[in-house]
Order: sequence, then structure tokens, then C-alpha cells
Amino acid sequence: MSMVRFDQVGKRYAGGKEALSGVSFELERGELAFLTGHSGAGKSTLLKLMMLMERPSRGQVFVDGQNLNRLRAGQVPYHRRKVGVVFQNHQLLFDRPVFDNVALPLQIAGYSPLDCARRVRAALDSVGLLHLEGRNPVELSGGEQQRVGIARAVVNKPPLLLADEPTGNLDPELSAEIMDLFVRFQQVGVTVLIATHDIALIERMGKRRLILDHGQMGGDLHVDHSG
Amino acid sequence: MSTTPDKKRGAVAASRSAASAAQPTRSASSGASAQSIGFVHRATAWLAHNQLVAVETLLTLLARPASSLLTWLVVAIALTLPGALWMSLTNIEQLSGNFQQSGRITLYLQQEASVAAGQTLLQRIEGLEDVVDTEYISAEQALAQFSAASGLADALAMLAENPLPAVILVEPPLGLTAERLQQLLQQLTSFHIVDSAQLDMAWLERLRAIIALGERLIWVLGVMLALAILLVVGNTIRLSIAARVDEIRVIKLVGGTDAYVRRPFLYTGLWYGMVGGLLAWLMLIGCWLLLKQPVAELSALYGSAFELQPLSANAALVLLSGAMLLGWLGAWWSVSRHLHEIEP
Repeated sequence: MSMVRFDQVGKRYAGGKEALSGVSFELERGELAFLTGHSGAGKSTLLKLMMLMERPSRGQVFVDGQNLNRLRAGQVPYHRRKVGVVFQNHQLLFDRPVFDNVALPLQIAGYSPLDCARRVRAALDSVGLLHLEGRNPVELSGGEQQRVGIARAVVNKPPLLLADEPTGNLDPELSAEIMDLFVRFQQVGVTVLIATHDIALIERMGKRRLILDHGQMGGDLHVDHSG
Repeated sequence: MSTTPDKKRGAVAASRSAASAAQPTRSASSGASAQSIGFVHRATAWLAHNQLVAVETLLTLLARPASSLLTWLVVAIALTLPGALWMSLTNIEQLSGNFQQSGRITLYLQQEASVAAGQTLLQRIEGLEDVVDTEYISAEQALAQFSAASGLADALAMLAENPLPAVILVEPPLGLTAERLQQLLQQLTSFHIVDSAQLDMAWLERLRAIIALGERLIWVLGVMLALAILLVVGNTIRLSIAARVDEIRVIKLVGGTDAYVRRPFLYTGLWYGMVGGLLAWLMLIGCWLLLKQPVAELSALYGSAFELQPLSANAALVLLSGAMLLGWLGAWWSVSRHLHEIEP
């Protein structure tokens, strides 16, 4: 069973804009893929459908075998706990230290403080920021902030990790570091889908590419992992 | 932006530990099992979060008393008004209870009725069922009492004849129903030498009617002021929701339920109500302290030992729990109106 399956998915916004139409693809468990396309091609909409930040107008989205159309509003939070998300603007809270930012998903899921602290430190360690746990995110560099965002996305050990332009504000060297992190999460079994327009970076990484073009799936380039 | 050695070190550390941190995900192939937490665990977590939020929100409010003061005071004043009315009415009711004991009927006999006829009537009245005590005051006795009490003895002496009738005072038993009292009154009026009968309770009835009106007034005032509390707490909560939009969005994004998001606001509302209720109670005690002495002096002038009573412990408890309920409801109303507007 695949981790993500889109079946003839269309999304039309209230204004009449057709963001996606007839999109179908599958992501296997433990697979890492890039989602590319011009601005406005529908990359963000596609990710939002998996997070249930938007609902499809047509077609069906399956995540982890669950048909998202069948989820009621009350079940949405529990679905979101299974999906980690990383944003370009990382969505950190500047009124609390790094540790508390990363701990938020665990507190929501009801982990005990002790368990919580252990997992937060493990997640911060995995992105190399353990030494900054007491700092306020506002004091951190752009790359560090993005890594805190990644730590928060993976702290709950979600089987699916989504990233929307995670390197959008970073220079090439930092971007490569961030991408390396995603690859390492993939290596331990997490399914990862990264929306980006950083073509040079993608080509160097040699991973599968889903290409959106004006809301339609314009290409699905599978790359052999031999190279 | 340049890459510092520190960042490089971070990246190296990252490559080392990413695997170990995310390791369990591989075994939890369904994914859900990594998050599935037993019911007992969930209930414990729910309780723990409630306690945490309760303490945190209270500390937050107390840490910034200046910003919360206005809301507290509005709640307190809105509660003090009906509270003070309530306290006054309880006291008036108690006062009227004292007067009830002296409720009696005055029978004015006809001018031409002889003393003998009056005495005969007295005996018949004493034999009636609902009569506890009687007293006959002859026209002469009445005149003597009146001239002594009024100081008009000289003027009265100039009158050719006594203008006052003889009087029989009839005391019904305590707690006689209004219906039986009315019957007794009719019976007494029907004796042929009785000119008229006056029930001293009439003014008491009026007082009771005024008290009933006052109670209704408390309800009307109470409902309107309760609405005011809902609006004030609701508006305060709306502002604090607006101040925490980013946090709410992130919480929803990482899987926070509506209940989780609502919780701190509901507790904040509860605390607004509680502190407001406590302040109202203090204000009522203040009112009582201010009025106690003057009321005692006034009632001493009337020869009464009446003392103004403070709000009872029960009433204070009702006031406080009502205030907390209103605060909570105000928060609920505000949160349910504004929360769905904030989506990630």
C-alpha cells in the first residue's frame, strides 16, 4: 500500500481559479520525491490537500491508506499528527524558546513532560541544534530557524514529511544541508515530499520528480537510485 | 549570509544523529501506531493539560493585573449591583418578619355603643376560634391615652364630647393564612355595634408586594448585567484570541484539536469571572460595613434591635460560582465565534 495516492484530484477555489485538475500519482512508503513547477502551478495546493488545509473539489486523496474525503472535521487534528510539515517561513513562535517550539506537537499529543523532553532533544540533535534549545528562534539565523522547523515537523515521528519551499530563503550551501537532512529522514523510513523550484539542487540529488504544469501533472521523472 | 564554522558543525552533527532520532518510524510501518496512545494515557494527558492550563492562565492574568483590572472591575460592579439589592431585600424580608408578630386587628365601635355592649362583644370575640388575645379600650381610656401622647390635653378638654370611639384590639394567632384572616375580619365586621375594622397587616401586604417587585427587579437587572458580563468577558477573550492568532494557527497545523485550542481561553474566562466575583463580594462587604452603623442608629431611634445582616456564606458562594460560570460562558461564546476564522 502506498503512503500517498492522488486519484484524479481537482481543486477549484471559490474565486473560480482552477488550481489542480485531474492529478494522479502515488508515493511509496519511504520514498523521497520532489514536487516542481512554475509559481502558481499548484504545488502548495497539492500539499495543503494532504494536510487537509484544503479539501479537493473532485477526486480522492489517500494518505497512509486513509481516504481523506471520509475524515470529519473532528478527525482532522489526528490526521495532521501523522504528517509533518516544513514551511518556507517555518511558522515558528517567537514568544517561546526553541525547545518549546519543538515540544508543541508532543504537548498537543499528550506526551508526559519527561518523555517530551527526551524526544525534543533527540529531534534537535538530529538537526544539529541541541546547543540552541534555550534560545529564542528570533536570535537564530535563517538556516537554523528552518532546522528548528524541521525538528518540530519530525519530533512526533510522522510517517509522512511534507516541505513547501524549505530552502526558499537560503543560500545554496545551506539549502544543500537542509536537503541532506531530508534524505537522512528518508533513509530511516520517512516518506518525504518536497515542493521546490530549485531545479539545480534537485538535479544534483537525483531523486524522483513530480512536475506540475498549470494544475496538471506534466511529468513524473523516476530516477534510478544507482546513480 | 556566510556559513560559520558553527553551522558546519551543526550540519555534521545533524548527519550523525538524524538516523537515530527518526529510527522508530521504520518499525512503526503503519505510522499510526507511533502516535496511538491508550485511553488511560489520553485521559491522564487531558487532566494534566487542564491543570497546566488552569495554573498557567491564572498566573498570566495575575502577572499583568493592570491589563486585566478593567475587565475584573466591570464584572465586579455588574455583580455588586444585583448583589447589593439582594442583600437589602433579604434584610427587609427579615425586618417584615419581625413586624408580622405584631399584626393585629383594631375594631372601632359605634359612638352610641354602651360600655356594657362593648364588654358583651368582647366576651363573644374571645370565644372565637382564631383569636389569641383581646383588649377593650373604652372611649374615655382612648381619650386619656391620646391626650397624654399628643400633648393636646388642653385643646381636647375644650371639646363638648369625646370624639373617640371605644376600641377592641383583637390579636389573631401567628402565621394565620391570609384567607382565614380575611374570614375573621368579615366575621368581626358583621357584629352590629362594630363601625369598622382595620387590619394592621394591610401595610405589611404592601411591603410584601414591594419586596416581590424588588425580587423581580433583581432578576431583570441580574439578567441584563449577566449579559453585560458575557459581552465584556467575550470581548476581552476576543482580543486575546486576536493577539494569539499565530500560535493558534501553528497549534492547528501540528494537530491541536479545537478543545485544545479553546482550553486556555475558557480558563481565562473562568478566572475573569472568579476574580470579578471575589471583588464583588469584597465590595458588598464594604457596603455592609459602611451601612451597618447608620442602620443600627436608625433602627435604635425606632426602638428596634434590627441589625443589617451581611451576605450569607451561601449567597456569597452562589455569587462566586455564578460569576465563574458567566466568565466561562462569555469565553465559550467568544471562542466559538472567532476560532473557526483562524485556519492554517
